Amino acid sequence: MLTAAAATVGSRRRVTGRQIAGRSVPYFLLLPVVGVLAAILGYPIYFLVKLSLQRYGLPELVQRHGEYIGLDNFRAVLHDPLFWHVLLRTVVFTAVNVGLTIVLGTLGALLLVRVSTWLRLLLTIGLVLVWAMPPVVAVQVWQWMTNSQNGVLNYILTQLHVGNYFQHNWYETTFSSYAMVTSLIVWGAIPFVVITVYAALSQVPRELLEAAQIDGARAWRIFKDVTLPVLMPVLLILTSLSIIWDFGAFTQPYLLIGPGQQTSSNYLMSTYLYYEGFGKNDFGTGAAISLLMLVIVAGLSVVYVRRMLRVGEEA
Amino acid sequence: MSRRRTGRLGWNVVGIVVFGVMVFPVFWMITTALKSNNQIYSFNPVWFPRHPILGHFSDAIHRPYFWTDVKNTVIVVVATVAIALALSFFAAIALAKYRFTGRKLFIVLVIAIQMLPQAGLIIPLYILLGRFPTGNLVNTLTGVILVYLTFALPFCVWTLRGFVLGIPKDLEEAAMVDGSSRIGAFIRILLPLVAPGLVATSVFAFITSWNEFIFASTLLHDGSKQTITVWLSLLYGGNRFVDWGAIMAASTLIAIPIVIFFLLVQRRIAFGLTAGAVK
Amino acid sequence: MRYRVLALAAVAVALSVVVATASASAKRSNAHTLTVWLQVDAQNGWPDLVAAANSAFQSSHPGWNVNVVYKQWNSHLQEFDATIAGNDTPDVIEMGNTDMTAYMASKEFANLGPYKASFNNSASWLAGLKASSTYGGKLYGVPYYAGSRVITYRTDLFKKAGFKKPPTSLSQFQSQLVKVGKMQKHVKGFAPLYVGGEDWFTALSFVFDYGGSIATQNAHGKWVGTLASKKSVAGLTRFKQFFDATQSRSTATLDGSNPFPYTVFSQGRTAANYGPAWYTCCVKPIKASKVGQFVMPSHTKGKPMPGFLGGSDLAVPIQSNSQAEARAWIADFTSTANEKALEKKGNIPNATNLLGKSVNERAAARSWFIPQAKHWADVQTGNILKTFLAQFLTGHLSVKKAAQVADQNIAQTLNEP
Repeated sequence: MLTAAAATVGSRRRVTGRQIAGRSVPYFLLLPVVGVLAAILGYPIYFLVKLSLQRYGLPELVQRHGEYIGLDNFRAVLHDPLFWHVLLRTVVFTAVNVGLTIVLGTLGALLLVRVSTWLRLLLTIGLVLVWAMPPVVAVQVWQWMTNSQNGVLNYILTQLHVGNYFQHNWYETTFSSYAMVTSLIVWGAIPFVVITVYAALSQVPRELLEAAQIDGARAWRIFKDVTLPVLMPVLLILTSLSIIWDFGAFTQPYLLIGPGQQTSSNYLMSTYLYYEGFGKNDFGTGAAISLLMLVIVAGLSVVYVRRMLRVGEEA
Repeated sequence: MSRRRTGRLGWNVVGIVVFGVMVFPVFWMITTALKSNNQIYSFNPVWFPRHPILGHFSDAIHRPYFWTDVKNTVIVVVATVAIALALSFFAAIALAKYRFTGRKLFIVLVIAIQMLPQAGLIIPLYILLGRFPTGNLVNTLTGVILVYLTFALPFCVWTLRGFVLGIPKDLEEAAMVDGSSRIGAFIRILLPLVAPGLVATSVFAFITSWNEFIFASTLLHDGSKQTITVWLSLLYGGNRFVDWGAIMAASTLIAIPIVIFFLLVQRRIAFGLTAGAVK
Repeated sequence: MRYRVLALAAVAVALSVVVATASASAKRSNAHTLTVWLQVDAQNGWPDLVAAANSAFQSSHPGWNVNVVYKQWNSHLQEFDATIAGNDTPDVIEMGNTDMTAYMASKEFANLGPYKASFNNSASWLAGLKASSTYGGKLYGVPYYAGSRVITYRTDLFKKAGFKKPPTSLSQFQSQLVKVGKMQKHVKGFAPLYVGGEDWFTALSFVFDYGGSIATQNAHGKWVGTLASKKSVAGLTRFKQFFDATQSRSTATLDGSNPFPYTVFSQGRTAANYGPAWYTCCVKPIKASKVGQFVMPSHTKGKPMPGFLGGSDLAVPIQSNSQAEARAWIADFTSTANEKALEKKGNIPNATNLLGKSVNERAAARSWFIPQAKHWADVQTGNILKTFLAQFLTGHLSVKKAAQVADQNIAQTLNEP
């Protein structure tokens, strides 16, 4: 029964082929967006590419004129072993953060469906408050909580006899530092995933769910065969977006670990860009790193983008 | 029936625990705003101040430009959200419901824009806005709105496209059979069904614009034109004593409009739910 | 439904038109507005002095307005860079003294040398600040104010331990601290001194106290790191001894930005901080009667430890179209009256003839400054010194080995083209 229902939904998709009426209509619909994006980003992107091909430090900035050195900036960055270490660290960091965010967020949305209405409203308000907290403020609260000298985290762990965490410095090792950063980022990212997935869950055909339940199918089967196919486009979007955002995450690692504690042993791509590019007033290198980041993120998310495109094509 | 009740009770317990854990940092922010300075900096954590004070709130409000900057932020955010929603809704329809040359390219470009690290664009955007054909847009709210639109549009288009794709096709066919024009059908039929998607994207656009810092700080120089995130940064950006009580109080106040906005639009999610049931 | 969409679109368009015209009508700087960028410390600490300078300037320049924009330390240089790129820099900008060199080397600031006499007390400007405003023999900035480092301490605890007068030598200070520490060991997590191991202002003071240095230029203009030299190592070794005896091991990897030393002081978990004199603002609930300050003593009896002279300078970007007016405003802002007022507020004024007898000012008698290298700011940005300190304070590397690594990193950074 389950598979038949799913098959019907699937076949419905294939039955409707669409003919194109008014061929120019889609272009007009797109025009405003294209117009704004081109007007605002056209020149900056051109300028960024130009910068990446120039030697452009502070003296050149003052003269507003750089010297063309071709691909030398790119070569210098790609030959720097630091770049590859940081890239690896960032890829692992992104994978962990995205994984946790999507899984926990989806679980949260499923939880939201199952609780009483009053608790649903309370939870949603709580989630929006979390979402609404200015990142700087969230970082500061995290710093207070994870502070080695008087942080709540050490206090609670010691009181609960998990171990002696008195004056334990969570930022002494790179791994531990990034565990803290991950907890902050995932915490801040969950509300958006929960709310979006919850909104998408509302599109799951209710009669299918009820039919499946009457049939006695277990929760996991229902999720896999009925809910997941409907959620798939949204989950793909959220995953690809999370990859893009988490790869470029800057505020949290920068502020939580501290501007004074960023070193080559704990850079992420975003802080590496900030310090090696703009912190050192080396704008040409900064532009080159920006473009490299663009290419890398594109590569990381291509799988999800392709699937998303294919889902659109089937329709 | 009773099995359902205990099931729901179990979920409620889980829900309350999740609520507690998630909201704890927000709770910490709000209670800090109510604590005296001695309690904020005390060695042993003060979980809840026994004598909450409102001094930090009045301190924050009375600092220069607080209300002005709140007004500026509201203008910027409302304009960004309204324009982004309108433009991206139409674009999403085009991308999801039509086949035309350049469709795939456009989608890829939209995603690619999201992948640009914003830090790299600060200087180029500053230069562009300074030389903008319609007039110098540096130190104007319009300039900031345009920048925020650029960062919000790709996301909104991409997400709304996903929501539009998720709509069952037979509804659209029913509308077309009705004899109405295609666009009219889309708008009349799709809009309420995509409402949950519109809510999610509008809340996202609202919050990211509200909390954005780098471009607001770089583009807006005058205290009277800045947004509230820049105002906040001046509280902790000096070399001396950082008044965390005032910062937490200001952040709590700033979060309130976001919650209100969300409460106003969240009814649409419920609408989406019932729409499915009616079908 | 269609109408609702159209209405929404109309509102959006109308709103943007309103915003655009509103922003446009708020006229941007015309030829008679002077734009001044000051750090937010002025807004919080001495807004009256800013107002005084503005009214003095406006009365001598009728028809002119002064637009003071406040910036914060974290991002003000990136924002300044953006205005350079967009050719709308401020007319006056406050720069941290360690920020100046890179911009002076890039010819971003106007040469103020010919106008030096127009600034009050320019003949007796503090050497440290004047050095930070000079490059290639030319003057590119006007010293604004400075701050030194002093010991802020618990007078009651020191008195209880039997010490009535401030120490006159480093070893005396150390033994006093150790005794106070023993006395207070019932307080959980108490350490007699709290600075933060990675606070390189402190560690390098020891280096200079022993006659060492950070880096020097050889005959060919190439920079060489000198932290591994004999004298520097002597100073660093003494610093490590001092640190191990008086501070908590857990602070070896902290740089004093989280938590702030004065916070730890206010919680009663330390008896002394080594930091700026304004720390006394923020040590409540410790009563003011229990807080005192003295000059950090050198290892040589009777002398002060050389302190890092922090401070700000005021410069005029060359892109400014109102350089004469900019200079006039700076002259008004750094007038003798204003500098005296700054001194009263606990700062160090910009000239030796204005110095008072406060602890802050006495500590500035012996001071050190960073190497005047174009890329020094990159050494700070790269946190080379902090890593270096953490390495030998945690015992990871010996002092000498860590210093050698640091020297290499410093030389590599400073010698970049």
